[in-house]
Amino acid sequence: MIFDLQTGETPKEITGDVCVVGTGPAGVTLALELARKGRSVVLLEGGGEAYEESSQALYEGAVIGHDHIDVAASRLRQFGGTSGHWTGLCAPLDALDFEPRADIPHHGWPITRADLDPFYARAHPYLDLGPYRYDWQDWRSIVPFPALPLDPTKILTDVYQQSPPTRFAEKFMETVRAEPKIACWTHANLVDVTLEEGGDVVSSIAVHTLDGRATTVRAKAYVIACGGIENARILLNARKQRPAGLGNEHDLVGRFYTDHMTIETSMLLFRDDVDTRLYPTSLNYDGAEILMGLKVHPDVVKERNLNNNSAFLVADYGDAVFSDDFRNYGWVAFSTMLKTFSRGHVPDRFAERTCDVVDDLGSVATGIYRHALRRVLPEKPAQAFRLRQDAEQAPNPDSRVTLIADTDPLGLQRIALDWRVTSDDLLRLRRTHQFIGEQVGAAGLGRLQLGVSDPPDLSIAYSGYHHMGTTRMHADPRQGVVDADCRVHSTKNLYMAGSSVFTTGGCANPTLTITALAIRLAERLAVSA
Amino acid sequence: MGKLTRRALLGTAAVGAFGLVAYGGGRAACSFVPRNHPDFFSLLDIPPEGAVARRIGEGALAEASLPSDFDALATAMKLRPLIAEAIATDCPTTRRQLVQDQCAADFAEGRCVVIDGWVLSETEASLCAAKLLRPSII
Repeated sequence: MIFDLQTGETPKEITGDVCVVGTGPAGVTLALELARKGRSVVLLEGGGEAYEESSQALYEGAVIGHDHIDVAASRLRQFGGTSGHWTGLCAPLDALDFEPRADIPHHGWPITRADLDPFYARAHPYLDLGPYRYDWQDWRSIVPFPALPLDPTKILTDVYQQSPPTRFAEKFMETVRAEPKIACWTHANLVDVTLEEGGDVVSSIAVHTLDGRATTVRAKAYVIACGGIENARILLNARKQRPAGLGNEHDLVGRFYTDHMTIETSMLLFRDDVDTRLYPTSLNYDGAEILMGLKVHPDVVKERNLNNNSAFLVADYGDAVFSDDFRNYGWVAFSTMLKTFSRGHVPDRFAERTCDVVDDLGSVATGIYRHALRRVLPEKPAQAFRLRQDAEQAPNPDSRVTLIADTDPLGLQRIALDWRVTSDDLLRLRRTHQFIGEQVGAAGLGRLQLGVSDPPDLSIAYSGYHHMGTTRMHADPRQGVVDADCRVHSTKNLYMAGSSVFTTGGCANPTLTITALAIRLAERLAVSA
Repeated sequence: MGKLTRRALLGTAAVGAFGLVAYGGGRAACSFVPRNHPDFFSLLDIPPEGAVARRIGEGALAEASLPSDFDALATAMKLRPLIAEAIATDCPTTRRQLVQDQCAADFAEGRCVVIDGWVLSETEASLCAAKLLRPSII
């Protein structure tokens, strides 16, 4: 059921077995899993069922570090959360991402990839992905194009899957509305968390609307699932009983902010006879849309003190017809609307997207023209490729979300994001590309020109808008905010869900891991709550 | 100036004919004699002409700590087994393949340099450098 806290009579108190704050991929998945196990869920959404300026404005804050990022437009405060504009690329984190590493401080989760594998598989249907297969060996007999003949002990063919992308509002809003075990309240903003007097048990949370209505939610367990920035903001603002903020006894909440450095650089030139058809575009086989990249083998990553990375090959076509350089906000808005209409839905933020199309009409026309021509012209394979990646950053306690004096209309302090992009991270990427170049040379396939300079130019790094790490998972309360079960160490019944619990970011887009962790958390809460 | 006699003409023709036969026969005979005359210069046709190869050659000499005189560079390169084999090969196609194989071996064994951003094998960087140095030698 879905209720609007801004309309009708405001209940004095709302109760359930579990209170889930946030309706993005983590929150909705968690609520549905718990409901299927017979638990009553109070699901809170700060925004409405669709985009609203006044609600979205609560996300505004300051950027004080590396400035190729933003803290407001990259997130969506509405039902479905940021799934409303994610791009849909998915892969699980690698086993390496979970391991402690002697060469990189603060690396390593208290769980392993094997612990998550069953939940990754269960997360696939939520995101409309194909079979849970990410090993190239599972695809090579199905896909008719060969992988580059590189030494598999040095370079792996990495497999990603493309979600349509699933919009959680489109796909799950009616399911939530029809689910009797879920009471979803929109316009319900969490403003405070109250602990039992002198204890470590959350007794209630205070919820306000922007027009001044207030209520209290009581549950056996509480889960905050509001995204990597907002999760930290909520804990840091909850200072009534814990002056440093809830869960912040060791000054960790907000620290270790990590993102993926979206970088398109370095150029691979192949011999004319090298078959590269596997790489430049996604391919549809066996019910999945897959995209292949090049990944340095984990043993080499450790041996050479690299960060994890998966490099996708962006074709540089001599013939402009095959180039995608027309892609901009206008084109993305156009293609999103087209896909949404084709599924029988009206796109959300329709006016905004329409205006984006109008603003970039030239690019949209170019895109339509080229797509039409590509259907009739024989494809000329490209032999030059740029490497595009969402590169990993090493965990860094100085990269952080902090509170600033400015407050929002609900009285909560806004945040400043101090995202640190370091020379070390970029030099590791340079060495990664150099290694790829050496292996391409060793196989006699071509040559690579490095795009990351030494010393590096930090301005080549853009945010992947993957906000991670601010309530990181660690077995030791002095090194992490939540334990292996996502429970805030210093409380008995408060949990965090979403990418804020990521101890490392790896190089995989985070939504699949967010969803898998939510299913795993639901398993635990279904037993304990 | 003396008189040109028939005897003198015949004698000159005979000497010329003998010379030709001797030279031709010698060349024919020598073709069966194994020789060890490495032709390093033949390798210098492999790097392409043009500004890029030249810039790589300059970069290799400046940044890759290569010997800066041609003889020392050639000597160092001849120590690489496939280069030594290429030098002793007459067939340009085989020679090119051997050089490419040596480049691949360099990459596999980590003998790489970065010049102008390009990740290159030491062999190809050295060849570009040698090509730059050659005009002062021949």
